[in-house]
Amino acid sequence: MHVVEMLGISKQFPGVLALNNVDLALEEGEIHGLVGENGAGKSTLVKILTGVIKPTAGSILIYGSKIPKWDISEAYKYIGAVYQERELVPFFTGLQNLFLGFEVSKGSFLIEREMLSRANKLLGEYGIEVPLDIPVNELSPGQQQMVTILKILFRNPKVVIFDEPTAPLSLSEKESLYKLIRNLKSRGVTILYISHYISEVLDLCDRITVLRNGMKVTTVESSEVTENKLIELMIDKSIKEQYPKEYVEPGKIVFEARNVNFGKAGIHDISFTIRSGEVVGFAGLVGSGRTELARAIYLGKKLDHGEIYISGNKFIPRSSWHSIKNGIAMIPENRRTEGLILDMSVKENLTLPILKNLSNIGFLTETKINQVSERIRERLSIRCFSLRQMLRTLSGGNQQKVSVGKWFSGKAKVWIFDEPTQGIDVEAKREIYQIMGGLAKNGAAVWFISSDLKELVAMSDRIYVMRKGKIVSEHRKPFNETQILRQMLRGDES
Amino acid sequence: MTKREFGMTSFFAKYGTITALILLFIVFSVMVPGFLNYSNFINILRQMSLLFILSVGFTMCLIVGELDLSFANVASLSSVIVAKLIVSGLNYLISITIALSIGASIGLLSGLLVTLIGISSLITTLAMGIIVSGITYMYTKGVSIYGHMPASFLQLGRGMIGSIPILVIIMFIVLIAAQIFVKQTRFGRYMQATGGNRTAALLAGVNVTAYKILGLVFSSLGAAFTGILLTSRLGAANPEGAAGFLMDGFATALLGQTVISVGRASPIGTFVGALLVGILNNGMTLLGVPYYVHDIAKGVIIILSVVVTSIHALKLERA
Repeated sequence: MHVVEMLGISKQFPGVLALNNVDLALEEGEIHGLVGENGAGKSTLVKILTGVIKPTAGSILIYGSKIPKWDISEAYKYIGAVYQERELVPFFTGLQNLFLGFEVSKGSFLIEREMLSRANKLLGEYGIEVPLDIPVNELSPGQQQMVTILKILFRNPKVVIFDEPTAPLSLSEKESLYKLIRNLKSRGVTILYISHYISEVLDLCDRITVLRNGMKVTTVESSEVTENKLIELMIDKSIKEQYPKEYVEPGKIVFEARNVNFGKAGIHDISFTIRSGEVVGFAGLVGSGRTELARAIYLGKKLDHGEIYISGNKFIPRSSWHSIKNGIAMIPENRRTEGLILDMSVKENLTLPILKNLSNIGFLTETKINQVSERIRERLSIRCFSLRQMLRTLSGGNQQKVSVGKWFSGKAKVWIFDEPTQGIDVEAKREIYQIMGGLAKNGAAVWFISSDLKELVAMSDRIYVMRKGKIVSEHRKPFNETQILRQMLRGDES
Repeated sequence: MTKREFGMTSFFAKYGTITALILLFIVFSVMVPGFLNYSNFINILRQMSLLFILSVGFTMCLIVGELDLSFANVASLSSVIVAKLIVSGLNYLISITIALSIGASIGLLSGLLVTLIGISSLITTLAMGIIVSGITYMYTKGVSIYGHMPASFLQLGRGMIGSIPILVIIMFIVLIAAQIFVKQTRFGRYMQATGGNRTAALLAGVNVTAYKILGLVFSSLGAAFTGILLTSRLGAANPEGAAGFLMDGFATALLGQTVISVGRASPIGTFVGALLVGILNNGMTLLGVPYYVHDIAKGVIIILSVVVTSIHALKLERA
């Protein structure tokens, strides 16, 4: 029996057909994966399913009967959605959030005890452990997500949608989320699971629907496909080389740190080198100091001890503009909040770091700005209909290319890539790898921070592992992934 | 999005503020005798000029993503300072320079508190406004300042070149200069970047601290200049002289933020905002509507034009 069936769904946006005659049927009690590149139509489909937007054509059936007017309040009866952005009141406790709008009260007075016992019952039922008596903004992202999920389970939905739920989670938090999802399945709840992490989807789901360019490619049993097969289905051409790595003969040392200490940033005794043509990977857990080290140097935090050299010249960190002047480029971890100005245009973003060269006694020379941005757009094949298009309206992969591209017209020798492929699709990832490789080939020193060990191993020439603000080991090719992982987790110094 | 698909309705929805301006203009032209003629038009421009110059300074502050609640008080202070100095016999150019410097210093102080200590600009400038107001009363002992002022100084606020008031010419010079500064210089771009996303701007090598301070300095400077022009126009000054500018200044600049695209402040947007407020005041005065009705109508129009524009923006986001 199909709990929910979406039939012939199409959605026409001005200028784009986002969905083209898509069918999706969810069986009772299954975990159904939904995969596709950015822009394949996943989020549009989910928005239609949750009633946020209306389809141009197509219908939605619940237990086989057509619902004539499918909107938010109708969807609310059957479907709960866990989005990346959790909708909780930050300074309310878990309990207050849980009962928001459904408070148990006598007259105007809340009955705290009754609510607590009901919440605890729910916790026990699903085997969830999360403190409900402290403000949710003091909880970890994983715990906050659990509160959101509880809130949804509270109203007994038939279908729960998880949209990229694991992105902000730690390893152990992921495990408990998987456990919870399987538990839900065993209780007959249907799960629609959306994720960029293909292996995760394969592990967890019973069936997987693949979308491509707004169309449904197929629905497959996950036992019948491999990771490569699934990726092939997602993109138009099969990728022979997901990690296009070219060997470049390393040249002179471009960047060198000797016993660097940034006490306030928790960075201690760091020594490393990056040569021209080298891609040097930094492995470590979140909070191990990889980002903190790069930021401290780039932003010019106070160097307590140690020395830094760029191409043999002593470099004292002062400020971001001082770093840029000395040839450092930084592509920050979170492009939307740190890499880009979303309400500015493509060309405004692309030329921000080099405006000094594109202006005459302070006045901007628009022709030069256009030339430079057009050149970068072509070189990185950034897909936008105009250079004046607002960054907000670009896809994730193209946004990331702008975040990288703004350094292309400068004279950077050291390129810091901090998690450059997070949250972008397979094809865009490959393009970012190509960009990194191309830079190295042209003699740049690439400083590559990533939590995706697979890409780190595939793309790096050497890897440093960081833990608790220190470099604990250096690895050379051929890399031993298990050993690197062990160093990341425990950091046994041999 | 294609224009054809949404057509005229889309234009009016996207540009709610401009639509309100056009509608208001048509309604007043038809209903109000004496509204639609050259001299009244000049009158409107003259009446709105002070408000605009004040609001354009505040706009700079909005562009870097900060607020300023002290501008009306700064304008009052500057107004009495310049009056007292001139009446005491000091050269008026020196007096103006002193008043402007004091204004800029107030902005600088607020800016330093906001950026280096990290107090929110809302609280900082609220407190600063109260302090400035206290200083104004201390300086004037609470009384208005009259006395002889040289004709060349009074010309600023009262003079005409041909049939155009000097105030109106000053307003257009300020508008053009501010618009060029914001849109066509690197510093203006940096200010917009700072307001758009502080961290991203910093990582792209923009000295965001300096530009935040600059935004607050511009706001106080615009206010100080307005105070000077006010004194010149009235030939006198009083410690509460510019107090009424607080609400209208906010209304103007916030309306301005809805003119071109929601949330992006610009001098030209603020000009449209000031024009709307100016036409509204003028038309209702000509109609003989009591002053309290002015306020009600102003509030309603602000809400309406913002509502129309925001709903449209929201629709685009959802689509």
